[in-house]
Amino acid sequence: MKKTVDVSIPLGPVHPCWKEPVRLKCETAGERVLRTEVELGYMKKGIERIMRGRPWQEVMFLAERVCGICSVIHNMVFIETMEEISDIAVPPRAAYLRVIVNELDRMASHILANFSYCYTIEHETLAMYLLNTRETVLDNLERITGSRINTAYMIPGGVRFDLLPEDAAAMLADLVKVEDEIRRHTRIFETGPLIALRSKGIGVMSREEAIRAHTVGPTARASGVEESDLRLRHPTYRALGFEQITRTEGDNFARIMVRFQEVFQSIDLIRKCVERLPEGPIRGGGLCKAGEASYSGEAPRGELTYSIKTDEYGRVLDIAIRTPSIMNIEACAHSMIRDVTSIADVTSTFISSDPCIACNER
Amino acid sequence: MTGYLYEKDLRQMKYNILTSTKHDEAVRAIAQRLGLTDAKLRMVLIRRFDMSLLENLGSRWEMGQQYADNNDDPVAEELGCELFTRFVPLVDPQVMQSICDETRAMIGNESSRDEAIARGKARIREAVLS
Repeated sequence: MKKTVDVSIPLGPVHPCWKEPVRLKCETAGERVLRTEVELGYMKKGIERIMRGRPWQEVMFLAERVCGICSVIHNMVFIETMEEISDIAVPPRAAYLRVIVNELDRMASHILANFSYCYTIEHETLAMYLLNTRETVLDNLERITGSRINTAYMIPGGVRFDLLPEDAAAMLADLVKVEDEIRRHTRIFETGPLIALRSKGIGVMSREEAIRAHTVGPTARASGVEESDLRLRHPTYRALGFEQITRTEGDNFARIMVRFQEVFQSIDLIRKCVERLPEGPIRGGGLCKAGEASYSGEAPRGELTYSIKTDEYGRVLDIAIRTPSIMNIEACAHSMIRDVTSIADVTSTFISSDPCIACNER
Repeated sequence: MTGYLYEKDLRQMKYNILTSTKHDEAVRAIAQRLGLTDAKLRMVLIRRFDMSLLENLGSRWEMGQQYADNNDDPVAEELGCELFTRFVPLVDPQVMQSICDETRAMIGNESSRDEAIARGKARIREAVLS
């Protein structure tokens, strides 16, 4: 009779499926995973320490370097926190432009996350299709902001560049193409029998577990947590009639499908913004003052919070950043991966929660 | 046998997580609720929790404040039965259950309610430090 032994299987820190270094220690009994521990600390930047004592003009550029995948939202939340501290108003046109750039960034991030998942379950064809589509999204981000990744688009009281009518028309034409492609990719994902085998009913996290670990973003929404999208509370999104997407399955399939659905939603939001884009200035101006505030925004992975304390010259005296991956990685290790029936599902389940190690370690 | 340096001692990294601004606030609040010193609680957390659980400590504590022990059981609420087993897993659920049952029995046996709760909290402290 074959003897079953308990073994500890390390995954990473350097692993073909990981985008960034992280180590998972899985304790298994045969194929069943009994316990998983996540080891972090391979790419600690100490960026919060670097930010302290610097003027906001420098911290603004540092903030978006916390994460390369969702840099726009780091820029946006930092700037909106500074605006809250200093009571600076944003012109309506700038507020709509912020939403356009933020949604383009969300689309790029969601498509990359789904690429990673497809690559992990070895559906490389769909993975490469998705990367190809992401290029079009990044081209549009570059068209508006002049940069593909670290855009530094938002500043206190407005944005740096206006959206020209010819650029808006080109972007809308590109979005039609992106929408068609994503619709085709979603159909491949939804109907693929091998994808279903690797995704449906795997890595299930219940709503209660999701709440207990304070999971956020698509990970929480895929487990049926209502009102977990902070865009519901953002004034510009509310004006656009934003509604949260929620699924109840709580498995890998649901997490990926929520992201696909949110890409369609982002396209709709951008179209609405272009349609309703008010005339007027893109910069209102204002001075950054002394104060203290904590402000949250909805990043592609969920709730991103900046707690900032400034002095009268706008220097950042203290800053604490809580990124969404902190909550999602913990829930993944202690809820989704626990009791997985095959060690092969560990990587795909971990990737399905879209972990951002750069955000997590800051 | 060659061993990895980072596997030998993670205490410094775990301590760095716990002493960051937001985590420090959470640790102080938990220590106050349990009646422990901050240093002792930090020691327990470093020994028991992995790094991802430590990183998520503040969020779990917040959610615990909001959702734990909302079932109209004043004893469970005062002792933090769900809070310290499911949200911030510092006590084994079976041990916590026995502490809760004993506390309820003490209250039923006509001893003072405050005394019974204080005894229960003392046992929770013992369980956390064990």
